Amino acid sequence: MKCPRCVQRIHRAASLCPHCGFSITDADARFGGEELRLRCLTDSAGILRRGDRERVEEAMEKISKRFPQIFVAVYTGALGEVAHIRQFGFWLLNRSAFEDVPVEKPNEAGILLTIDPESKAAGMVFGYLLDPFLEESDTFECLSRAHASWLEQKYADGIIRALAELESILCKRCRQARRDPEHFQRKVQPPAMMGDTVRRIRAGHRNESVKQTASTREEVEK
Amino acid sequence: MKFPQAWIIAGALVTIAQAATQEAGLPAWKDGERVQLEKDGWVAGGALLSKDPAQVSTAENESKIPEPTAGEIAEPENPRVELPEKFWADYFGEKPKSFLVDPQGLLSTVDHRDRLAFLNYHASDSAIDLYVYVFKGNQEIPGEAREEELIERFFSKGRPAAVVYYYMSAPELSAIYLSPSLMGAIPGAEQHRALESSVMQAIEKPDPSKQIEAFLVQMSIRIYWMERLAGLGTAAAEPMMASASRSDAPVKKHKMMILLQPWIDKSKPLVLPAALLCASLLAGLVMTGWLRRRARYRFPEFEVEPRLGGPHAAGIGAVISFASAAVPPASQRDQVPDYLKRY
Repeated sequence: MKCPRCVQRIHRAASLCPHCGFSITDADARFGGEELRLRCLTDSAGILRRGDRERVEEAMEKISKRFPQIFVAVYTGALGEVAHIRQFGFWLLNRSAFEDVPVEKPNEAGILLTIDPESKAAGMVFGYLLDPFLEESDTFECLSRAHASWLEQKYADGIIRALAELESILCKRCRQARRDPEHFQRKVQPPAMMGDTVRRIRAGHRNESVKQTASTREEVEK
Repeated sequence: MKFPQAWIIAGALVTIAQAATQEAGLPAWKDGERVQLEKDGWVAGGALLSKDPAQVSTAENESKIPEPTAGEIAEPENPRVELPEKFWADYFGEKPKSFLVDPQGLLSTVDHRDRLAFLNYHASDSAIDLYVYVFKGNQEIPGEAREEELIERFFSKGRPAAVVYYYMSAPELSAIYLSPSLMGAIPGAEQHRALESSVMQAIEKPDPSKQIEAFLVQMSIRIYWMERLAGLGTAAAEPMMASASRSDAPVKKHKMMILLQPWIDKSKPLVLPAALLCASLLAGLVMTGWLRRRARYRFPEFEVEPRLGGPHAAGIGAVISFASAAVPPASQRDQVPDYLKRY
């Protein structure tokens, strides 16, 4: 798990990045603190034609049908630096309300694809529901599939290819989760408390010292 | 010396000739001999001794042998029966798929195989195919199946063909018909001669199996001459051959196929179960694919502690730049902070 700003690894349940101190508050300060109302497919950059929109919506709908818990959102817009797109994706998935998503699907179940045609960068973030099942490398695979199309500015084609790859990865992960759910559960278990560890170590030492005392007494008695 | 000897020899020859010309006299009854014999009773060969033996024997025969009835005169010795209706479709329903048409199974398996192999060989060697329909010797072609029409219908397209109706044990009843493309090229007299010589070869053989074998061998030879006569296989005949589509002819069997034929025959009963098995496997695969496409996937839900203050997501995910083709995705895989990159 990495910090959206400094891309350093952070531990589970970190309320702030231990390296740069980043949190949602910083993102709010940069992009705005108010709630946003968006549709799943928001083409603010205007890079999708009418026919393209339909094709992209169809691909998004397909994933929503196959994975009833999940929805996919696509946002295009000019954001400036490449570094900002990671923070923007994090902020958008946390702060926006998707109008055309059923209420029973919270943002935790969302996968957001953000494209900035100005800085020519794209990012993919996902909610907590998929945290145990998807890795950063999985999202990178999806974006890699779209790279060639986006280079030629065929944005819709790229999105569709990325979503097709995402669908196949999700299918695979779902089958794996069905076979061995504990494996994925372990990935999101809260870390052991420091106090517990110390207590266990001390208890171990105590046991050892008790054993040693007992053996010394036996030797003395003999 | 010479003259007296010649006269002696000539005289001897004349004497011998005169002796030869004198006929021996017929025997004649002496007085009382006949009467005496008749008094004694029956005499063997008495009829011969009668005054007019011819009259006596004719009269006696006429009285003993009954005259034939009109029906017996009209009926042939071996009456012919019409081909059973159940075989009509097999014989005349469609263009034969094999050069040997024997739906009644009149030939033994071995004979059928050998004759078919011969006909296949003939077809591979000749420009004119030979189709043989086998019937029983006493069978009659139904009136509905008009030969000329059948030939016109089945053999007007494809390679030139000679069609023979062969009657087992009665090769003399056989008939030959030529496909329309050959009709103008080969005169009727030649067809008749071919049939006649084939029949002659067949009837010399004692048993039906040998008869049909001899018949076909001779017919094949005669067809070779017909082929020459029609100019088939020469430059003049190219248009005729070109117009004939080979796809309509039955499949010519290679020598290897002929060798494998018994195995193929043995495996024929397994074809249907094998086809059913393949079909069911295919259906299973299609069904599995269809079910997979319609499958709905649900992830198990685990409690995840929020990070970085994000209520719904922690911002995990990759970023890619598509600014330049010189920076492929492979070089962007390791997403680390800039100050950790090695340049």
